[in-house]
Amino acid sequence: MYEYMLLIVGIILPYLTLAVFGIALAYNFFKWMFLPRPVMWAIFPAKENTVSILLTIAKRIFSLPGPRKFDKLIFTLAWMFHIGLIVSLSLHAKYIFLPHLPFEYEMGSIAGLFAAIGSFGFIIRRYYDKRAESYFADYFALVLLIITLLLGTYIRILKLVDPAQLWGWVQGILSLNPVLPPTNTLFLIHLFFAQIYMMYLPFKTLIHPIAIFYGQKVILDKRHIGKE
Amino acid sequence: MMEKLFDEYRGLSDKKIRPNEPKSEQFLKAFKELLDKKNNWAFLLPFKLSLEACTHCGTCAEACPVYIGSGREKIYSPVYRADMLRRIYKKYFTLSGRIFGRLVGAKEITERDVNALAEAAYRCTICRRCALACPFGLDNGLIMREARKILAELGIVPDELKEEGVENQITYGSAPKIPYEALMNILDFVKSEIEENRKNVNIEVPVDKVGAKYLIINNAGDYLSFLDTIRGIVEIMNYVNEDWTFNSQNTGVFDNVNYGLFYSDKDMIRVIRAHLETFKKLKPEYVVVGECGHAYDVLGHLMKDLIPAEERPFKVIHIVELYDKFLREGKLKLDKDKNSAPVTFHDSCKIGRCGGIYDEPRRLIAASCRDFREMYPNREYNYCCGGGGGFALMSKYNFLDFRMKTYGKLKVQQIKDTGASTLITICANCKRQFLDMVSYYNLNTTVSGLSEIIANALVY
Ligand code: SF4
Ligand code: SF4
Repeated sequence: MYEYMLLIVGIILPYLTLAVFGIALAYNFFKWMFLPRPVMWAIFPAKENTVSILLTIAKRIFSLPGPRKFDKLIFTLAWMFHIGLIVSLSLHAKYIFLPHLPFEYEMGSIAGLFAAIGSFGFIIRRYYDKRAESYFADYFALVLLIITLLLGTYIRILKLVDPAQLWGWVQGILSLNPVLPPTNTLFLIHLFFAQIYMMYLPFKTLIHPIAIFYGQKVILDKRHIGKE
Repeated sequence: MMEKLFDEYRGLSDKKIRPNEPKSEQFLKAFKELLDKKNNWAFLLPFKLSLEACTHCGTCAEACPVYIGSGREKIYSPVYRADMLRRIYKKYFTLSGRIFGRLVGAKEITERDVNALAEAAYRCTICRRCALACPFGLDNGLIMREARKILAELGIVPDELKEEGVENQITYGSAPKIPYEALMNILDFVKSEIEENRKNVNIEVPVDKVGAKYLIINNAGDYLSFLDTIRGIVEIMNYVNEDWTFNSQNTGVFDNVNYGLFYSDKDMIRVIRAHLETFKKLKPEYVVVGECGHAYDVLGHLMKDLIPAEERPFKVIHIVELYDKFLREGKLKLDKDKNSAPVTFHDSCKIGRCGGIYDEPRRLIAASCRDFREMYPNREYNYCCGGGGGFALMSKYNFLDFRMKTYGKLKVQQIKDTGASTLITICANCKRQFLDMVSYYNLNTTVSGLSEIIANALVY
């Protein structure tokens, strides 16, 4: 029974997750790309060449000027959450190239905690915020994420999983010669939730990085379709 | 007394909304058509993005003048209003909405929803301040505009915009149906007034002159309610001695407005076509949009994308851009001391945030007024006055109260904080809203266009 669970969570689900995540992500990106270019619908000051539009989008992604000006709380939570998540995900992605990094446990634990606190703040804010209705799906994504983050942080703090074993498992998945994952139960639960979240992401939250690109482009682009 | 449909206010009549008539099926049909590239290529991308990618973070609410002005009532938050359409979209046009229903916020449409939306769509001036606040650039104002487009397919449009707006304009040349003789009398009066004030100055008011360098097309409301602005334009154009003309119904449409912008792309294009026919007859080098904001949005921006270049062999500029050019060329000699009272300036949404004109009026005001005081926030962050989206024309039932108690309240405070006695704005709809504000709140503020301010400062 346990063998089957290892097989499902550690071998079958990763491939399924990668496929769903990749396809849904690409679909989300291209579906917007193939919609016709809209009329000039800029908000000024706007830009008139692709490079400055892209640079400004990049700047806005990090500086979040709207939330910074209009809602300091969400600005702070968004920063904590995104920085925590990016560091944490990078430390996971490093298994593609490296088995171990100095201070990875410490960095990962702090990053995971940051992201979890940010997500928790989002939930509380959603619950009390009367400006916008939140639905089950909004809470579901956050709860799933908090569970995943807290488990991951706990595993890191207590060093419950051997990095060499993790490295072997990731390399096996990538080289299409899969091996069974580390057998720690908490790790398997973490892995399970993380994969469910990843499959859910492209349909919900992960349309953000894509939406921010297209949405900001519309309001930043002052070029006209027709010649002047 | 009409029944409440969305809040305590009504902007549209029962005759228009027909609250007891089933409309939901027709609504869904029109909605579906709007989601088709063929029917709505111009706005489909931002529309669908705004429908699908909202995280309900609520950041946009703090940018919305209706929400803030109302004392932060939930029903006036941009995301609440937009969700009224978004939830229907999810239910009928997305897979997740069909499968998971309410769990993802999808909602089955009811007749009540359509009636409520008919009013809610007219609680937003489409000022787009919320889009500036949204981290993703999503545009709840655009969603309300698209909702108005769906409703227009069901015949739900305020009379002030359609019958008394677009239809009058196309049939009579101007929305307020100004007869030719009346227009000529007004212009004669303007001419004689300036000549009387400025002794030894000979004033010309060319009308329907073919091939003039500048065709100045005004908001026809200015001929009736803001004659000082017309007087200012005439005086400035005579002062700089340029080749220019106004026009009349003899050459087509002489009203620059396009109320189609507020409720229907089809009607917007009809008005653009009527304008193009007029410009074709008059063959100007420049079409100069008089002091009007939404007219500039359509003629100066949207038309460039909607009409092929060969059909518009002229340039379009706002009159403020023209004055600024004259100023920079040294053609305007101005004496600030002639306007010594403290003035402030309102950035109209369609000219500033959606039009990109911020510095030109400021340069002109700085050159012609002794004491200019910025209001805060300003430029792209300025609050909509509440006259946009067609609202300046809508005062029936208790809609004036809505305009005044939300947008108006916020704006009045902004003006008071400056301590200025004159408020300058370069949009006829904003001026109307400000005039209503002055009488509603008993303000001691003079509302003025920029043309008359500049004209008053001219040195002869
Ligand atoms: S467009 Fe303006 S009025 Fe409408 S919701 Fe956005 S901020 Fe509010
Ligand atoms: S700021 Fe953007 S994402 Fe947040 S509620 Fe408003 S429209 Fe939705």
